[in-house]
Amino acid sequence: MTTTLELRQPAPLDLTGYRLGQPQRTGRLTVVPLFGPAYPGIGSPAAVKLARVVGYGKCLMSNAGDGVAIVPLHVGYIQDAAQNHALCRSAFLAPGQELLFADACCVQQSQGGYISDRGHGLFVLPVELRAAALDLRGVENYSKLWPAITALNTSYGLPARGHLEQVLTRQHAVLTQFQSRLELLPEQLGALLFIGECLAGIEIAPDPRYFAEMWVALVCFAYGPAARHAGPVDESVVPYDVSTVDELRLALAEDRRAVAEQTTRWLAEAPWQVSSIEETERFLDLRLSTVHGDGVAGQVVTDGQRLVYASLFSRELA
Amino acid sequence: MLTHELTGFVTHLQTPTEPLRIRRSGELAWPDEQEHASAYAADPVGYALLALVPGVPPSQRARVLLRILDSSWAEFPVETRATLNRVARVLTLGLPATACVPVMLALRHRRANHKHVTRALLRLLLEHPQADSLIGSHRAVLVACFEHALGKATARGCAKSLTDDESTVDLVRPLLRFAPSPMVAIDRVRALYTPGAAGELAAQPPPVPAPLDLDLDGERPAVVTATNRGDIAATLVHLFRGGYSADLRLAVDRMVTAAAATLPAFPGTLALVLDQSASMRGYGEREWAVLSQAVALREVLARRCARLDVVSVGGPDTPRGATDLASGVLDALATQPDLVAVISDGYENTNPGDLARVVATLPRIGVTTPVVFCHSAYSHSDDLTLRRPAPAMPQRPFWHQEDFGQLLLWLLVQTRHPDSGRWLREALIARLSIVEESVR
Repeated sequence: MTTTLELRQPAPLDLTGYRLGQPQRTGRLTVVPLFGPAYPGIGSPAAVKLARVVGYGKCLMSNAGDGVAIVPLHVGYIQDAAQNHALCRSAFLAPGQELLFADACCVQQSQGGYISDRGHGLFVLPVELRAAALDLRGVENYSKLWPAITALNTSYGLPARGHLEQVLTRQHAVLTQFQSRLELLPEQLGALLFIGECLAGIEIAPDPRYFAEMWVALVCFAYGPAARHAGPVDESVVPYDVSTVDELRLALAEDRRAVAEQTTRWLAEAPWQVSSIEETERFLDLRLSTVHGDGVAGQVVTDGQRLVYASLFSRELA
Repeated sequence: MLTHELTGFVTHLQTPTEPLRIRRSGELAWPDEQEHASAYAADPVGYALLALVPGVPPSQRARVLLRILDSSWAEFPVETRATLNRVARVLTLGLPATACVPVMLALRHRRANHKHVTRALLRLLLEHPQADSLIGSHRAVLVACFEHALGKATARGCAKSLTDDESTVDLVRPLLRFAPSPMVAIDRVRALYTPGAAGELAAQPPPVPAPLDLDLDGERPAVVTATNRGDIAATLVHLFRGGYSADLRLAVDRMVTAAAATLPAFPGTLALVLDQSASMRGYGEREWAVLSQAVALREVLARRCARLDVVSVGGPDTPRGATDLASGVLDALATQPDLVAVISDGYENTNPGDLARVVATLPRIGVTTPVVFCHSAYSHSDDLTLRRPAPAMPQRPFWHQEDFGQLLLWLLVQTRHPDSGRWLREALIARLSIVEESVR
């Protein structure tokens, strides 16, 4: 069984030291935990705050932490009686810095009001919307994501409007169960996420604390909705063809090995062809780059060849 | 006691079913009468006690009451008669009064005139907490049953004497010796034979009191929080939140000892697969709640089981890791237990379906040890739809400390040890005493 992470693309990235854990599965969502070397000095994503919304589609972000912050890609904010917003790109924020994201997007068509600082929920855009959001980075138009949200709602059998709340809020109780259905492991700093057999995303954080803070937003809201709507799984119970308890143990272990190998095969066969990696921002030795390709998109942070952060996702699910 | 097919018969008793019905012809509609008759014939006391197993619905408890009252006890030893009488008493007072009506009517139609029938009929009228409202709604039936119990002439003589101030009839021997409260008895018999009296009351009917609590359900909070689900779990929540102190630790030990003293014993070997994976911690307002109740149960079981082997899945010091329940069950079976109980929030992710598949395989390879699933929930209203990793397994949720007694009895029912019938019988007799305490 392969336990090291061997990505064919994007290259050239140094993934030395990363290894895969035993897959966890619930419904149509499979998560392969990822372990590896932590990159020191990156601030907590919890310190990245939405300071205020200065206008529809314009979010002023701040970093209240001690270290440089990597703004999580496609992070969004929810608040009752206010227009929910999401960011279309990542960025670096130095400690104490404020940065205006003028290319953010509204995700709640027909809802008025600005998000205030009285507390808000955090999410990451559903994977089906992420390619559209990334492609629209730099475009200053608060309603730019509504067509994609409308299409997503339609595909889920929900009313056709640019209202992401129909997914995130009204299905909140079911989606938040994903944080219990799949469990974060000690020292885990990333994950491969599959919807059915499709590689839906690769999420790698600088360190386990960063990943833990983003875990709920990722598993519940970025990948949970797609998993929930991916159809039922076969729940038939077929007893093992064994004759002793020892044989049963072996059969169970063999099954687990087969699942791990299956995910490794899905990873290898994923139709992700990176065509280019475009540097977008830099902070000292850190580089934020946007990944372009067939079947894959996302952003990565590197220090030389060393991978620090990655949020890559499938375009196939869009 | 009913060692043959005990689990199956208890499952039958716990299955919701139609209430007993008396047709206009007087015929009793009782589709499963044969099952009850066979069980009663095999072990009258054991059968009667099974009505006290938690979760048996009133419709089945009424059947048990009818079965034991309908037969003669004359050939039974004194101890057997005494126990049957005790069970009949708590069932009569613990069933909703309306559920007793078809039982009493059936006894009348079958002309059952044993002394224990007389006592039961009068108990319903004179002692049942809901008898006042029953007199208002079922007067004719109650009059018929009252007259069947005492004999028509005696019953009417008693009633007449209660409405005639100058009567010198002795009411003690025929009626009041059956009444723990003579004044209540006199009022009820008067109301029974005074049409309209209940109607006057009905203009502003008082709330109908609850019958005896046969399930010993205890009081549950209307609004559930992490710390109002029983003393042990509440204290553990504070410990888990980081509020460690020697006082809290000592308090847990004291509370566990006190709680265990009231619970049935499990005289066999129990293997516990305790889920301590990351999800057991929970989040938000439920944080630590599910784990604390699971740990509380483990502590109580440690005091009530002859031997308890605990296999941790995840953890063990803090909730962490994935949920591999299937391997936990195999490890638990290696301890040669009488029963394996999985305690989990129900989120199985390594891999979903493994537990169901392993448990389904066990009988095929000669492993007959029962494996059951105990859902550690936050409240009575938890949605367990996505939390049933092996739907075919016997399973029961628990969320409050008051659930432990019921859960332990259920575990005894699931056990297939040769002595499990005796264990259950002893536990139910102890439970009978606790139920009786509440009406003394």
